[in-house]
Amino acid sequence: MLRMSLLATLALSLCQTAAHAQMSHHHHASEAACEEADLRCASKVTPAFASDGTLWLAWMAGGRISVASSKDQGRSFSTPVQVTREKLNLDWGPDARPQIVVEKTGGIALAFSIFRDKAFNGQVLTTRSADDGQSFAELQPITASNESQRFVALGLDVDGSAFAAWIDKRNRVPAQQSGKKYEGAALFFTSSKDGGATYAEARLASDNTCECCRLGLAFAGPGRPVVVFRNIFEGGVRDHAVMTFADPATPGEVRRVSNDDWQIAACPHHGPSLSISPAGTYHIAWYTNGKARKGLFYARSGDEGRTFSDPLALGRADRNPTRPHVLTGPRGATMVWKEFDGEKTSVNAMTSRDEGKSWSKPVAIATTTDTSDHPLLVSDGQKVYLSWMTKADGYRLLPIGDGS
Amino acid sequence: MKRCLLAAIFLIVSLAAAPGAEAPSEFKLKPFVRGSWQDVLRSHAGRPTLVHFWGVTCGPCKIELPLLGQFMKDHSEIDVVMVSADLVPNLPGPTRAMLEKAGLGSAENWIFSDGFVERLRFEIDPAWQGEIPRTLLIGRDGTVTAIEGSAEIPDLEKWLDRQKAAAK
Repeated sequence: MLRMSLLATLALSLCQTAAHAQMSHHHHASEAACEEADLRCASKVTPAFASDGTLWLAWMAGGRISVASSKDQGRSFSTPVQVTREKLNLDWGPDARPQIVVEKTGGIALAFSIFRDKAFNGQVLTTRSADDGQSFAELQPITASNESQRFVALGLDVDGSAFAAWIDKRNRVPAQQSGKKYEGAALFFTSSKDGGATYAEARLASDNTCECCRLGLAFAGPGRPVVVFRNIFEGGVRDHAVMTFADPATPGEVRRVSNDDWQIAACPHHGPSLSISPAGTYHIAWYTNGKARKGLFYARSGDEGRTFSDPLALGRADRNPTRPHVLTGPRGATMVWKEFDGEKTSVNAMTSRDEGKSWSKPVAIATTTDTSDHPLLVSDGQKVYLSWMTKADGYRLLPIGDGS
Repeated sequence: MKRCLLAAIFLIVSLAAAPGAEAPSEFKLKPFVRGSWQDVLRSHAGRPTLVHFWGVTCGPCKIELPLLGQFMKDHSEIDVVMVSADLVPNLPGPTRAMLEKAGLGSAENWIFSDGFVERLRFEIDPAWQGEIPRTLLIGRDGTVTAIEGSAEIPDLEKWLDRQKAAAK
């Protein structure tokens, strides 16, 4: 009996040590600062300004999607509303994030992906709030298909309708069954005339796109969505392409952004960014590790993607520049990206007042010493802000100059 | 803690009931943290070593893993180090299951366990932005050959032949 109790003591003390080690290790091992659904615990935060100047955030934390708003540029927030009662198996891929659009009438549409099974197949879910973000409708799949869907991008057209595009694997199975090789996944799209309550049947825009990168989405004009994506060109080359839709139901041709010649059978987990200026200039920023060039690049097009400027390299090559984001505002274009010097991550910004022909010198506008979300740009129609979630320093919203 | 208590009771019962009974085999996933890369380099110095970075959500990895499992089985003369390099939350369960299925349970297996993945990657290769699969072939003399994306097994065989030739 003595032996038994000694064993029990030993076993219990081992358990306590393990539990303690787990706790102290926990925060270090996680990409989030804490495990709750609060904003401070978020790993991904997506901003959107309403037309009245209210900032809305949708974030991923504690296995939940939550939403809150701020009337004072992010200094204080409304009580967060969790979109679902239950925890979700949210897609935690590096490029996955909740999408939020806020209509002029106050409706809020959300889209995000979950992992639907143990093989990490995704499913895009949508929901909508008709009461100023106080409650959200039951989650609805964006499509009835049971094949994997990830990396949804959601945009709001001027007439209030929503346009969504995502990466979809449904065409792989029939192709493989008929003995054909099918690389990557496909770009699918749909739209909603009721502000994201219901969506039209999903349709194919283009087959053989990269399966693991975020999409860039903007509008070239009313009813003319534009999507930039990592395509798979001939020979397994994963370079970027842009597609301008003739209308929200009619895909356009695939136009190549640049010939980087990145032939790779891998998941770069690193998608592009797109913004279109009022003058119609397409601004695109992306990452490649191709034979022709390596790193982050920017290019612009004045003819809807038929031709592009020579790619402009961004950031210091020895500081691993990543996660570019570009946004055009009333006073010009702004671009941000992350750099890492071995100890800290900085967000660097530069601006252009001539449609992207020339850019200011890059300036580090924020830093952090632990992990961080992608830096995002958001505009309230007056100013452009950096929206950045960091593990060590929480959520930040910083105004970026005046575009000069 | 409740689970731990249950485990403690189980441990006591099983030890008391059947002394010497073996615990169920569950291979080790070493936590890959700051400094781990230098540990890997040090512990394999002077031996041809294949280091493979992969992840459970990576489609091409699913196809490549069993091929690497076979390659390891065919070549006991090289060290095989597998690093699950998905972003944290990295999932030990699916990671183990995929390695086991691919015949890689007996490789030296690591799993990214630091939320600051940029720093982990920077220690390994400042130019690596996290795309997986990625293979580093480390020669006897420490020369590193990087293979981006899925590795072709014939390329690995050729590298190994060169290593053998250099050793003679």
